[in-house]
Amino acid sequence: MNYNHSLQFGTFITQRSDDAEGVVALAKHSEELGYDLVAFQDHPYQPALLDTWTLLAWVAGQTERVHLAPDVINIPMRPPAVLARAAASLDLLSGGRLELALGAGAFWDAIEANGGRRLTPGEAVNALSEAIDVIRGMWDVADAHPLRYNGSYYPLAGAERGPVPAHNIPIWVGARKPRMLRLIGQKADGWLPSRTALQLGELRMGNQIIDEAARAAGRDPREIRRIVNITGQFTSSPGGFLEGPSKKWVNDLLPLVVNDGVGTFILMTDDPRAMEQFAQEVVPNLREAARQGLPELGAARAIRPTAVRAKRRAGIDYDAVPATLADAVIEPGDTAYARVKDTYLRGGSPGIVFQVKDVGQVVEALAFARAHPDLPLSIRSAGHGVSGRSTNHGGIVIDLKKLNRIEVLDPASRRVRIEPGARWMEVASALEPYGWALSSGDYGGVGVGGLATTAGIGFLARAQGLTIDHLRAVEMILADGSRVRASETENPDLFWAVRGAGANFGIVTSFEFEVDEVGEVGWATFLFDASEPAGLLEKWGAAVESSPRDLTSFIILAPQRRGQPAIAQMMVLVNSGDAAIISNRLQPLAQIAPLYDYSAAIMTYADVMANAQDVDHHGVGEPNARAGLIEHITPEFAAAAARLIHNNVVYFFQIRSVGGAVADVASDATAYGHRSANFSVNGFGANRTLLNAEWDKLRRHFSGLYLSFESDRRPERLYEAFPPKTLERLRILKAHYDPQNVFRDNFNITPAPQEQLQQEGKKP
Amino acid sequence: MMNMSNIKPSSETDYGHDLLFGVFVTPVAQPAMQAVELAIAADRAGLDLVSFQDHPYQSAFYDTWTLISYAASRTEHIHLSPNVLNLPLRLPTVIARSAAGLDRLSGGRVELGIGAGAFWDAIKAMGGRKLTPGQSIEALEEAIQIIREIWATDKPGGVRVDGMYYPVKGAKRGPAPVHPIQIWVGAYKPRILGLTGRVADGWLPSLAYLPDGPVSLKGMNQRIDEGAAAAGREPAAVRRLLNISGRFAQTGRSFLNGPPQQWAEDLAGLTVEYGITGFILAADDPATIELFASEVAPATRELVAAERAGR
Repeated sequence: MNYNHSLQFGTFITQRSDDAEGVVALAKHSEELGYDLVAFQDHPYQPALLDTWTLLAWVAGQTERVHLAPDVINIPMRPPAVLARAAASLDLLSGGRLELALGAGAFWDAIEANGGRRLTPGEAVNALSEAIDVIRGMWDVADAHPLRYNGSYYPLAGAERGPVPAHNIPIWVGARKPRMLRLIGQKADGWLPSRTALQLGELRMGNQIIDEAARAAGRDPREIRRIVNITGQFTSSPGGFLEGPSKKWVNDLLPLVVNDGVGTFILMTDDPRAMEQFAQEVVPNLREAARQGLPELGAARAIRPTAVRAKRRAGIDYDAVPATLADAVIEPGDTAYARVKDTYLRGGSPGIVFQVKDVGQVVEALAFARAHPDLPLSIRSAGHGVSGRSTNHGGIVIDLKKLNRIEVLDPASRRVRIEPGARWMEVASALEPYGWALSSGDYGGVGVGGLATTAGIGFLARAQGLTIDHLRAVEMILADGSRVRASETENPDLFWAVRGAGANFGIVTSFEFEVDEVGEVGWATFLFDASEPAGLLEKWGAAVESSPRDLTSFIILAPQRRGQPAIAQMMVLVNSGDAAIISNRLQPLAQIAPLYDYSAAIMTYADVMANAQDVDHHGVGEPNARAGLIEHITPEFAAAAARLIHNNVVYFFQIRSVGGAVADVASDATAYGHRSANFSVNGFGANRTLLNAEWDKLRRHFSGLYLSFESDRRPERLYEAFPPKTLERLRILKAHYDPQNVFRDNFNITPAPQEQLQQEGKKP
Repeated sequence: MMNMSNIKPSSETDYGHDLLFGVFVTPVAQPAMQAVELAIAADRAGLDLVSFQDHPYQSAFYDTWTLISYAASRTEHIHLSPNVLNLPLRLPTVIARSAAGLDRLSGGRVELGIGAGAFWDAIKAMGGRKLTPGQSIEALEEAIQIIREIWATDKPGGVRVDGMYYPVKGAKRGPAPVHPIQIWVGAYKPRILGLTGRVADGWLPSLAYLPDGPVSLKGMNQRIDEGAAAAGREPAAVRRLLNISGRFAQTGRSFLNGPPQQWAEDLAGLTVEYGITGFILAADDPATIELFASEVAPATRELVAAERAGR
């Protein structure tokens, strides 16, 4: 019997309280040797041992990769509701490295002597069963109700659930007797038999009981990992079980894998040489021997728990997810799902999320998406998209958050390579030590991928141009899964298309930018009396247009709140660290309306961008946003905008200055084509119908739109986002690079029909 | 820092301890590394203590003991303490061994702020026992006794505390901490102040919860002093700490709202008038932590040293 769990190996170290340093050193050594797991026993009444939980947290802080487990937690002395929260905390702090093995308790005299409650063995099984329910309930934030649990041992009267662990913490149970084994079959994720079970044939019998109980509970026995603690002696000549040279160990352990389905071996030793020998001689040979005995081992993903499978959505072939994506996939039943389903502005309920960790996984996830052509496919870098929805209902999300490296390729030419999941605040602080900056947007939490494939209208726009104007090359995955590089010399058509319409052409996995030298900058925020909004906007527009291009300003207006004055907030960045120049630039802008408050300081671009926190998104509903590009803030437009605000059509109205360096680039040089606009306008409204009706009336003022702030899906928006010639070229390229229209979530450019391509004889 | 040996009682109100400066960091679970990074910042800034509140029923926060253990592992010099540990949801024997274990792992950097508990409905919701304020103080006294007994490995025999709340019947002693872990009690009301005087090494209230502001410290100190006297202890056996909050501003506006030098004067005043020698600032940003460590702490120490020398 085998349960198709990939083989894992751990160490079990005696946590002598009189040698804390030695214990930690062995744990770190285990990680260096490539072990998957470090485990510590838990006997809270035993002063010769360091407190297990404290030690696990300490070791988590001293290691980076290895997983950690108590082996096994003494439930009678650690109340489960607090334990659940402690476990979630440790899982979060360690980056998802906790496995939680529980025990019903033993040594009842010692437990009672230490203030714990004495239970009979039968009671202890029931108490452990309750503890598992409580722990799982505390982690289940998908249930919005406080946790009430009517237990005999651990009653809860409405506990707040959470925090959510970083990963699905498996609950393993140490057990020997049938009642405990049945409990494992009913609700645990793993079985830790007693050590003696290895030699007495108890493994097979135990497996039988567990498997029967699992099936009776509607579960698949393969959900349950079998984990054994082992001890032995490395000697030159073979002796008894696990006594002898490494080869003897392999021969002894192999049947446990092949016949008894053991997936994890935990070596109990405090001898670093034994750890080394096991890691170097037993582990690789046992893996190889197991592969030969069980060719299918580890080929597919391990079976997911019944509770997870129960939340699967129709139309998705979850079992077809390859083993190579096992550490990337998040299903609706997974713990991490609550963290990834929504975005900054939007509530979502995708059917499957791939939080990919490398380019290979991007290719695999995309292949999975191609096999589900009718499902929505969303690509997410940091989840701030408005037009790029980056979540969906029932579909597929490829989340690039963990592809987030930033590296300097060549200091002399200021060439920087950035992955799509990096956020702009991280980019800004990575470039700061070099005295460099790259214009991005106005919020540091926004991801690189979405912005750098659309335009990037930021606080250095007039000084430096758009973000895409600094792009020199990309590496991307096309719809068919091929990896390509695009630049002015390699696939130049694609490189042109990516700079403005990238979302339609593939998944960029790496951006190469040439960034600018930017020292300290002047950064100012102003709060104006906006009781005359039209006049204010008009004066602001004129002042910005007559300012040198080292100045970029954004202005935000909102409807007046009852009992409060109407206000406008203006942000200004002056690309100079010279106080006199900054003051000179700010003067005209400070006079556009009566001033309530302002602040101005000299800082770095990284300081300006340090305005976001690394928290999960929990957006709800759908944002209604509209956009437009405009040459000048005319009196007519200013009056129309003022009406929009006054009538509560928008709750947020922003204008960003563009022009300057943005207009130095020819309109046909990139797929972003509206280079002559001096301003980018956007508004968010609560009522979509009203917003659309009123915003449509503004269209006569606009010369196009910046698609990143547009949520309207009516087809004519496409013609506003791209000039006619640009759109025509994009359609032809789309037909070449994505004929099946795999990438259609964000301003879908439908491929040019084949007859048009043939007729015009166009080859991209 | 934290050296309890050079206590020199100097006046009725100043108990003479070296000054201690720390921070009170919110143990938020999101962003995941925020609390740890602030602890590291406090360590690098040279502060004496980083402390975290403990509300095990609050899901936005990390489990405090897990966080403290992890943060201790990522820091080098700074001491760490719960501020204060919620007793009702933990077993005293486990608290004692956890603290001693972390003290051993960290090279003697753990202190134990502890409280009788509050928010009893939330405690009950988590499976804890609902106690009256009076019962909770009795339970705290039992717990402190158990914790000290577990640590007292030089005493013979097992630990027996025939308690109402935490009966301990012959538990093994140990492990012992590597330094004398200070037990600081969060207390406001007369009974628990008396308990603090009798059994604690320190008193850890929050300025914001003092009924009449700093003036309240006088009467509360007296209660503690009386408790200490009743147990045959010197008043100086109980360090007086204070959780504070404030704002750095260009010009002085009010108490702990002004430039660092004004803060130093405000804090030195608390030392001289009320014997406060531990200042724990609620701070969740590195800039405030840095300013408190680099400007307020040395200036306060200087003022207090001058005052004490002048006596």
